Amino acid sequence: MSRDDLSTERDVSAMSTVSNTTFTERPPDGPVTLTDSGSVSPSVISRWNPRELLLTMLFLAPAVAGLGAFVIFPLFQAVYLATMGSDILGNPTRFVGLQHFAELLTPDFGAVLLRTAGFTLIVVVAGVVLPMALAVPLSQRLPGMRVFRTLFTLPFAYSASAASVVWLLMLNPAMSPVNWLLQLAGVSAPGWTTDSGWALVTVAGVTVWMVSGFNLLVLAAGLAGLDEQVLEAARIDGATGVRNFTSIVLPMISPSLFFVIVTTTLTALQSLGQPQVMTDGGPNGATSTLVYSIFNQAFHNNNSNYGLASAQGLVLLIVGVLLAAVQFGVIERRVHYR
Amino acid sequence: MRTKLGLLACAVAAATAVTACSSAASSGTSPSAGDGLSAPAAGALDGKGETDITFWHAMTGTNGETLKKLTDQFNAANQGKIKVTLAFKNNYDDTLSAYKNALKGGELPDLLQVYDIGTQFMIDSKATVPAQSFIDVDKYDVSDIQPNIAGYYSIGGKLYSMPFNTSMPLLYINKDAFTKAGLDPNKPPTTLDEIKADAQKLTVKDASGNTTQYGFGASLYGWFLEQWTAVAGAQYCNPDNGRNGRATEANFASDNNVKLLNWWKDMVGSGLALKLDSDTKNGDSAFVAGKDAITLESTGSLGDFTKAGFQVGTGFYPKINASDAAGPIIGGASLWIVGKGKDDAHKRAAWEFVKFLETKDSQATWHTSTGYFPVSKGALDTAVDKQWVANKPQFQTAITQLQSTKVTTATQGCLFGVMPQVRKAAESAMQAAVLQGKDAKQALTDAAASLTQPIKDYNDSVK
Repeated sequence: MSRDDLSTERDVSAMSTVSNTTFTERPPDGPVTLTDSGSVSPSVISRWNPRELLLTMLFLAPAVAGLGAFVIFPLFQAVYLATMGSDILGNPTRFVGLQHFAELLTPDFGAVLLRTAGFTLIVVVAGVVLPMALAVPLSQRLPGMRVFRTLFTLPFAYSASAASVVWLLMLNPAMSPVNWLLQLAGVSAPGWTTDSGWALVTVAGVTVWMVSGFNLLVLAAGLAGLDEQVLEAARIDGATGVRNFTSIVLPMISPSLFFVIVTTTLTALQSLGQPQVMTDGGPNGATSTLVYSIFNQAFHNNNSNYGLASAQGLVLLIVGVLLAAVQFGVIERRVHYR
Repeated sequence: MRTKLGLLACAVAAATAVTACSSAASSGTSPSAGDGLSAPAAGALDGKGETDITFWHAMTGTNGETLKKLTDQFNAANQGKIKVTLAFKNNYDDTLSAYKNALKGGELPDLLQVYDIGTQFMIDSKATVPAQSFIDVDKYDVSDIQPNIAGYYSIGGKLYSMPFNTSMPLLYINKDAFTKAGLDPNKPPTTLDEIKADAQKLTVKDASGNTTQYGFGASLYGWFLEQWTAVAGAQYCNPDNGRNGRATEANFASDNNVKLLNWWKDMVGSGLALKLDSDTKNGDSAFVAGKDAITLESTGSLGDFTKAGFQVGTGFYPKINASDAAGPIIGGASLWIVGKGKDDAHKRAAWEFVKFLETKDSQATWHTSTGYFPVSKGALDTAVDKQWVANKPQFQTAITQLQSTKVTTATQGCLFGVMPQVRKAAESAMQAAVLQGKDAKQALTDAAASLTQPIKDYNDSVK
């Protein structure tokens, strides 16, 4: 059972306790008598009290204003724009109905979605496994581990554009240090950004490098918080090595792991700087992900096709909601909260 | 009540010369009256005190510093009359985006710098004063402007914006590598066949079979495809490169360009050319590092190339066929004077500043400090410029190339409202053919076809 379910149950029981006590303390006349279900909270009693109402609205106002301005309004604006054609400045000028959505039913856009899925998969799998592989040895209490932990966490401080530029230099076809090392090892370097097969992997690789630092931090913290008693009990029971890791350690850090998976998925879905700076969506669209495509339609190359971009944005929203539903509905069931 | 408010709003709008209600309020009157898009007389600044104008530009590094220097010079000479404030807008794309947003409701600059491929869009934005209007009012002598450069920004014989920073494509060679390979370093290749023949001698492999120097290596930059097309004397878009009426169709899927991409594919496939993407920075560093011996780049890269550890030579932009007789198109950016919502003094002040930037002395400073091609013919005859060219004899190639290129619709270049998208699509086709091994004809045809709808949508929306 998930933490949410548990906490809800706890809240409900707490509430009923409160209402029960209220019942015994208050005289049985007044509005309470109207509801005899027994699980009504006391706030219902004063729900229409003007003073309370005013206070409630006052407290809600900042949150609603923020949510309205930055979430609800843009959402409706996107729906509106998605049904409009625009002039050369991007002003919505004519109603086009579902035309922009019809334009999405092409093999090209299908390829964009598929590419986004592939990109996200690479980033999430590598971006979680790699920091995990680093975090486990780093959690050993050995001298110098603090230094390594700090070093491995540093990529976290890079912005997408800065990281992309640095990696472009690292993989520059003329003087790439990476290619030089590969050549020393007798491997001929691939066309990192020119080979369509490699371009997506390269861009995903840079994203993995960027998310690894933060993920390492979270996973290392999870490992540091492990209960020594449980580990000792497991040792006494004879759990060692891989078995110890998969049956004891992994379930115990599963909340951190789940958090890392969710945030990395979102980061991967929203990546723009990496494909924009490193490949500009190329070669021939091979690294054009969903967000790059939205950016391309709305702002790139003097485009102002806000209609099509908004339609694609709504697709991104649906993809995000579906993924979140899967992650919270399926994966979180396996997460063990203490 | 509502109608009254509407009338009041229209009255206010009309009084402040905002065009918002003009269609309702002044239907039938001529569009030039009061739309603010014609040049004011020379006396517009008289008795106005100091007129402050803002100039949006996208010049970085040395270019930005030189622009600042010229602006300071102008401000000092016009103290109490005109003051130009520079506003840096990151890059050409951002400058144009900012302009678009300002048109939708914001503060417009008095003057802005727009890249070559934004020309048709700027005309269609209907908020600028054509340079021709000032030229006519002032009887300004345009004979000093290089005709090929003015040609790009002229449509129907009317100059819309004043050319400023101008560049041109050239062929660059590593002279040391040429000598080592037994080739004449003073005879750069001029055609595809010659590049291939030279590249065969220039490609060097080490003992283990790794290529240490490729014969050829150029970025798959969309601009280059426009240049090859122009050198062949062909139109990049129909009809007439959009120079006589609106272009309706991209025309780059020509047999010539198919031949070019097949050649390029073959060069990369047979190991004679370095595989590069469309990022010219990668192409530049490969050439400077000696990774390839022949490359294509704009005149703007000459300064960086001459700092490389070898002798650099230049040649005319190569031809696809030996019989191709036209020349390349100029690139760069030009200056647009904003008319919408501006009073006569501001328009006039912007024009005075533009005129200053176009003078032969300003252009000589600009050319020798930045490497951009001077817009003014006279600039090339100034002492400072002559000395600079003597130090950089490679630049003489660019001057000769420009002077030997006849102005035709082919060498004026293609105009589209969606030209940035067109360039990007052509670039994708180049990548598809050379990097992905797709059929060149198919790649170019698909790219041209993908543009049909955006071109039509754009043209329909400005009718």
